[in-house]
Amino acid sequence: MPKIKINGNEVEVPQGSTIIQAFKATGVEICHYCWHPGLSVAGVCRLCMVQIEGMPKLQIACNTEVKEGMVINNTSDVVKETVRWGLDFHLINHPLDCPICDQAGECGLQDQYMKFGQYDPEMAENKVKKHKVVDLGPTVVLDSERCILCSRCVRFTDEVSKTNELGIFNRGDRCEIGTVAGKPLANNYSLNTVDICPVGALTSKDFRFRQRVWYLKEADSICPGCSTGCNVKVNYNEEGLWRIRPRENKEVNGHWMCDVGRDSYKFVNLKNRLVAGKVGQRGSWQEVTATDAARSAGLKLRETVAQHGPDSVALVVTGQYTNEEYHRLFTFFTVNLESNNIFHWMNNPETTKDFDGLLFRGDRNPNTKGVVDALGSFALKAKWEDLQSQLSSRKIKVVVVAGPENQAVFPDMTEKITFFAQAESMIWLTAGQSEALNQTGAETWQIPLKTYIEKSGSFTNVQGKVQTFKVGTTIVAQAFTLSEVVELFSGQELNWNLRPHSLGGVKTNYSIANRGAL
Amino acid sequence: MFKLSKESEDFVKKELSRYEAKYSAIIPSLFRVQKDHGWVPPEAVSVLAKLMEIPEAHINEVLYFYTMFNKRPVGKIHAQVCCNISCAMNGGRELADALCKSFNVQDGVMSADGKITVSRVECLGSCDTAPMMQVNDRYIENLTPELAVRKLKEMGA
Repeated sequence: MPKIKINGNEVEVPQGSTIIQAFKATGVEICHYCWHPGLSVAGVCRLCMVQIEGMPKLQIACNTEVKEGMVINNTSDVVKETVRWGLDFHLINHPLDCPICDQAGECGLQDQYMKFGQYDPEMAENKVKKHKVVDLGPTVVLDSERCILCSRCVRFTDEVSKTNELGIFNRGDRCEIGTVAGKPLANNYSLNTVDICPVGALTSKDFRFRQRVWYLKEADSICPGCSTGCNVKVNYNEEGLWRIRPRENKEVNGHWMCDVGRDSYKFVNLKNRLVAGKVGQRGSWQEVTATDAARSAGLKLRETVAQHGPDSVALVVTGQYTNEEYHRLFTFFTVNLESNNIFHWMNNPETTKDFDGLLFRGDRNPNTKGVVDALGSFALKAKWEDLQSQLSSRKIKVVVVAGPENQAVFPDMTEKITFFAQAESMIWLTAGQSEALNQTGAETWQIPLKTYIEKSGSFTNVQGKVQTFKVGTTIVAQAFTLSEVVELFSGQELNWNLRPHSLGGVKTNYSIANRGAL
Repeated sequence: MFKLSKESEDFVKKELSRYEAKYSAIIPSLFRVQKDHGWVPPEAVSVLAKLMEIPEAHINEVLYFYTMFNKRPVGKIHAQVCCNISCAMNGGRELADALCKSFNVQDGVMSADGKITVSRVECLGSCDTAPMMQVNDRYIENLTPELAVRKLKEMGA
């Protein structure tokens, strides 16, 4: 471990690390664009200049390895002057259209210029005009003028997604990012290029012009899109969730996440949610509060067990809930109701083992391993076929279903609802609205549940790593976690002082909503 | 549909085995295509990409960097006017504009009769004789617009 001095402070860094890594590790600020911890070193932006004692010229920190006894600083006047001018050169052809740029507020160029720039540019040249709105693919839009050619996105497609779609074409000040012959940038990781773009050149079609980033709050969470369990941060405001971006975790997802996972904020928002309890059948619903629905459903459950014995009820769970909820729910069933009829609804047994080699897995549940482990720890061995036979023989009177939270990954949902509805009564616990329930003849309770962003708990990912997450925000205040539902089922009361408030839901601004697709 | 000739394909394969990094074979291969066809059509890039097992984007990056590769068909006479520093300071850009005007063509676009293409190019390494142009494989140096037009007309443009 070489000992070096950074701005006068002695630090010890691992052998073989570069100077910029040493800066990052010790938390010393350094200006940089093209360097990204998840990508190779390009050394093209020339902004991470440092002065090393004994070297006649400044060196770039990203491509210089630390050596024992190096004395490095980036606070001397010569370094500051170089960085100031470097930034000015980056701005020669940059349009500075920050007021209409979607990146404003989280823009590397803005941030770095505020910290290190010279504020009074001395460039009098005409700016080179380039392509302004390039439709790069299904998810990404390019503005060539804003691009500062850091090549992060090109390196991403070369090194991480290995799809090689992007390149830097032409020469000198006419350089532009692009794809070959108009082919789309269409891989499942394309939105990562938007994340790593330090300027507003690459923007997400899904998010652009929706919100100003400085009005958004951020919460850490775990992506519920598949069993990889990427660490994410969720941006939300008082209207709901707006986007999901990856959060670094070297052991799980590195710096990246897939485009499919980024859609997993949509089902959380108010318009897709079940906001109150519903009781009824064949589409004629009586709307009641979630609490009343849960109470009466619990009463029905307990009465059925008292009348017909514990085998007359069944519980079906999906891999979409937290370990804590499974534990609470299974305890209630096995101990309080003394029923061992607990079944695991696998939505995609054919694709469960699929893996694209990077992050995305065919098992589209965040906690399949968690539910399997929980079933194992309660020694529950009921098979799906048992449920089939017991339902058709009318042995099961009430079936409780902890249904899918992310309904898009349950293509078999309609079919399964019809299947469950063979029972006399169904208690359907879910976050979303389900059209298919309108067709069933069983007496049904719909009880709204919270989604992953509204509760605390843990998911066990496919590697067996237990990842905890906390409440980010609350969209539907009436909704319960499964644990809270169990409290009400067993006749207890919740602590009403601790109930959260709802968000307002998305308000449509018509002047923006009708502005066109791109 | 673009197809590489057998000889060119062999040439590309030979070039690939010649260098330590196969990326080094991009320039000779592109030049070979240009020699065969007069320019490098986009389909040729796809064919080369498949043959050399290099992503298309990487070949295109090289192709678009160098002005020596023709990205469009060129006329019988291809006048490449240097507009880099030394030539620009000595009137290279004005020379290019004058040529475009007198032969009634646009920069880089072949004339309708296929006789001539005038294009602005990057440095041709003849800064001491600026401004200059390269006509097909010949350097014509120390130019004025009038001289350049006369020389090109003599060549049959």
